[in-house]
Amino acid sequence: MVEPREPYKNPIELLQGTLDLLVLQTLTWAPQHGYGIAHAIRAGSREALQVDTGSLYPALHRLEREGAVASEWKTSENKQRVKVYRLTAAGRKKLTQERSRWDRLMEAMAGVLDATKAPSEA
Amino acid sequence: MKLFLPFWSRRRRERELDEEIEAHLSMAIADRMARGETAEDAAANARRELGNEALVKETTRAQWGSGSLERLLQDMRYGLRILRRSPGFTAVAVVTLALGIGANTAILSVVNAILLRPLGYADPDRLVVMLHKGRNPVAPANFLDWRAQSRSFESMGAAEVWSANLTSGGTPEKLSALRMTPEILPTLGVQPLMGRFFLLSEDEAGRDHVVLLAHGLWKRRFGGDPNVIGKPITLNGEPYAVIGVMPPGFIFAPFWSTGSEMWAPLDLRARAASRESSSLRVFARLKKDVQLAAARQEMAAITATLEREFPGTNRDVQVIPLQEKVVGGVRPALLVLLGAVGLVLLIACTNVANMLLARSSARQKEIALRAALGASRGRTIRQLLTESLVLALAGGIAGVALGAWSLRILVALAPPFFPRLSDIRLDPRVLVATFLLSLLTGVAFGLVPALQASSVHLQDALKDVGAAGSGREARTMRWIFVAAEVALAIVLLVGAGLMVRSFVALRKIDPGFDPRGVVTMEVSVAGTRQAEIGRRPVLYKEILERFAAVPGVRAAGAINHIPIAGDIWGWPYVIEGRPIPRPGESPVAAYRAVMPGYFRTMRLPILRGRDVAPTDTLGASGVVLVNEFLARRVWPGQDPIGKRIALDGPDDNPSWLTVIGVVKNAVQSNWSTDPDDEVYLSLLQRRALIESPHPQEAYVTFVARTDGDPATLVPSLRAAVWGIDRTLPISEVRTMQEIVFHANGRARFQTLLLAAFAAVAALLSAVGIYGVMSYAVSKRTREIGVRMALGADPGDVLRLVVGQGMAVAVAGAGAGLLAALLLTRLISTLLYGVKATDPMTYAGVAALLLAIALLASYLPARRAAHIDPMRALRAE
Repeated sequence: MVEPREPYKNPIELLQGTLDLLVLQTLTWAPQHGYGIAHAIRAGSREALQVDTGSLYPALHRLEREGAVASEWKTSENKQRVKVYRLTAAGRKKLTQERSRWDRLMEAMAGVLDATKAPSEA
Repeated sequence: MKLFLPFWSRRRRERELDEEIEAHLSMAIADRMARGETAEDAAANARRELGNEALVKETTRAQWGSGSLERLLQDMRYGLRILRRSPGFTAVAVVTLALGIGANTAILSVVNAILLRPLGYADPDRLVVMLHKGRNPVAPANFLDWRAQSRSFESMGAAEVWSANLTSGGTPEKLSALRMTPEILPTLGVQPLMGRFFLLSEDEAGRDHVVLLAHGLWKRRFGGDPNVIGKPITLNGEPYAVIGVMPPGFIFAPFWSTGSEMWAPLDLRARAASRESSSLRVFARLKKDVQLAAARQEMAAITATLEREFPGTNRDVQVIPLQEKVVGGVRPALLVLLGAVGLVLLIACTNVANMLLARSSARQKEIALRAALGASRGRTIRQLLTESLVLALAGGIAGVALGAWSLRILVALAPPFFPRLSDIRLDPRVLVATFLLSLLTGVAFGLVPALQASSVHLQDALKDVGAAGSGREARTMRWIFVAAEVALAIVLLVGAGLMVRSFVALRKIDPGFDPRGVVTMEVSVAGTRQAEIGRRPVLYKEILERFAAVPGVRAAGAINHIPIAGDIWGWPYVIEGRPIPRPGESPVAAYRAVMPGYFRTMRLPILRGRDVAPTDTLGASGVVLVNEFLARRVWPGQDPIGKRIALDGPDDNPSWLTVIGVVKNAVQSNWSTDPDDEVYLSLLQRRALIESPHPQEAYVTFVARTDGDPATLVPSLRAAVWGIDRTLPISEVRTMQEIVFHANGRARFQTLLLAAFAAVAALLSAVGIYGVMSYAVSKRTREIGVRMALGADPGDVLRLVVGQGMAVAVAGAGAGLLAALLLTRLISTLLYGVKATDPMTYAGVAALLLAIALLASYLPARRAAHIDPMRALRAE
């Protein structure tokens, strides 16, 4: 993952497919509602990754339909009814797969980027 | 995937989504406020961060997916919206389809009622009829032998015509009735509405005075009296008891004497040894494990043995499935009609397909847009097909309404060639068939346009290059459809043309007599005191005298069996001076017995010799008139007058009959059958007819001629008969023209229907050709403008456009004529006096359709030729 040095002014556009990974990873710590997930991703990336609401909720509903997450309605500490998502067994499996796919991608990307950098500097 | 999300579950999910987003917002606001923003700023910023709330919800909802049925409903709603937006198109398409589907619904109902379930009997597939040559009745001894010797049948019974003069309780009436052996009704597998069937012991003289009533007769003569069982009635002057009433709709016999209203047991004991007087129709039920072929084989063996023992008595016995016997005659006509309505529907489909093709070109931009927005080709095809299905279902609904309506007309117009015709109605089976037919129709006319439309070239369509939808493929397709339409219409019109010509030929048949101005009525003496020996000659003469005295009557006469409507008896005869033929090989002549004046009344010319005279009575020497056909066949080139023949019947009292006259050939029973041997005897000389108490012989048909409408004579004629004896039953009062009209009924009906369908087909294809032509011209407006601007003469343009249309029409006509040549063979059995390959009909029909095509291309072409070139160029 790209590690920004300081909080970004311009948030990075999420790569296709990465949002699922982030959402699933976030849910491994604890069940969470949509706002909480967005907040956690933003905080975890030190504000670099801004999760667009217009992407987050479709993703959540899609994951729910696929069975990767399940949801239930709960009442938050300040008496608000919230829809809380939790990871299912299928979701954990999906997370492992997505994670390994991401790792392979990163590895491949790094290989290419380093290889092309070297000659131009030489 | 779920097929269908119930709408309530969807509504709940909508509400939950709203709440989820709401919660998101309020948490964001709370966070911001916690970070020190004012309430207003927090709300505004949180909203901005959220973005377009509606869009968020929309994209989220899109993830839920939807059931395929739900998508279908969506498509249908969309389809309906599209159709509503172009009401003209929709109306024309729905009316076109309704014509096609309605015609099919009506004919399917008839086919369903007549061909698929014609009889109200249990398990009718195993019922068979046994007759000589498939139509001639059987002698009692043969029936008894067959029943005793055969093993293939569960049961076997026989029935014969009986007529019963009902003289108790109201106006005397001659009822059409049957006598039957007691097994028949159980063989048919029916049950009485009330009462019981005959006992096996009731087929014996003395115990056979019991009757079953038809439902209609029970209502009509007995007021539906529930206590009718056991009631005494008087039939033919003898006491009978009612033992049962049959349910409504029960018909027996199904193929002859179908109007029978009363049934009584048949006593064969007195005639058990007779192999001569054949009057029985034999009915049997095959055993469950016996095939028809096996039964036929067995019967062939039995009759062959009997034939060796009693030569000439057991020839050509056929075992025919009852269904076949009943509907065999109308099946070809019905199948032809079914084919015809099928063609009409095909033409309707072609028309609508053409309209859709034209329209889908106009909608190409919309379709391209859908594709650009990510709709797959499959999705687009599905959408377009759904629209077609919506259209087809609308056409189907309108078609069923039209079908139900035309069925009523059809039943009203139909000749009573089948007794249960009036029972025909739309039943669930037909409705299901129509529904499926509509769906099929939708796919049939929607598929090609949908495939065509969905294969748009995105870029071209969106960039609006050239005329939208003038794709070469679509254009070719349209022309192919027009050609097909012309071909189909030609097939139908040729069929109808042949039927019309055949009908004209039928109308031209000379029945031999002049039916105009003649009224007929049967007077029966059975069971009255007029049946006594010696009374009948006096009575018949007196009736004729009284008839002659009625004002307006020009002539009067009497005959035992009137042509066409009456029974027909065939009698073997021998010719004096010729070798006596072997048994069963004598020539057979139609046997008629007349009173003086019959020929004059019917205007049936006596070509040579004289009429029977009042003096040709039992005491005088026997006389006979023969028809022209017999005279020419038996005595070619000789004068038949003075020659002698004999009828070897049981009562050949004056065994030799001298030919006193030759009569013009007259129609016997079947309108279009070629003439056959016919003899006319003096009724006063036929002992059976003037002495037998048997109801089949104790009646005659009187005929009277007037100059005006013969129906007006009826009250005076009735009064004349009843003035002599109030107890005489008068029946079958009809004008001769009604009888002739009836005889032509089936041919007229078939012709009418086929002609009507052909007219609809011609109209539809004219509309189709016109539509495509004018569409093609409107698409070529710019091209025509360019040509005209470059100096083309309006005549050239006219030739160009008309030529294109006519080329297609001629191709279609050629294909149609070829198809008609092949298909009209199927109706050759329905034709009379015209060949299925009649060149006149083919040429006429082709000329008619080409004229329609010419007009349909000329009108749009003329419009094109008068376009102002400048305006044409600016078009688009």
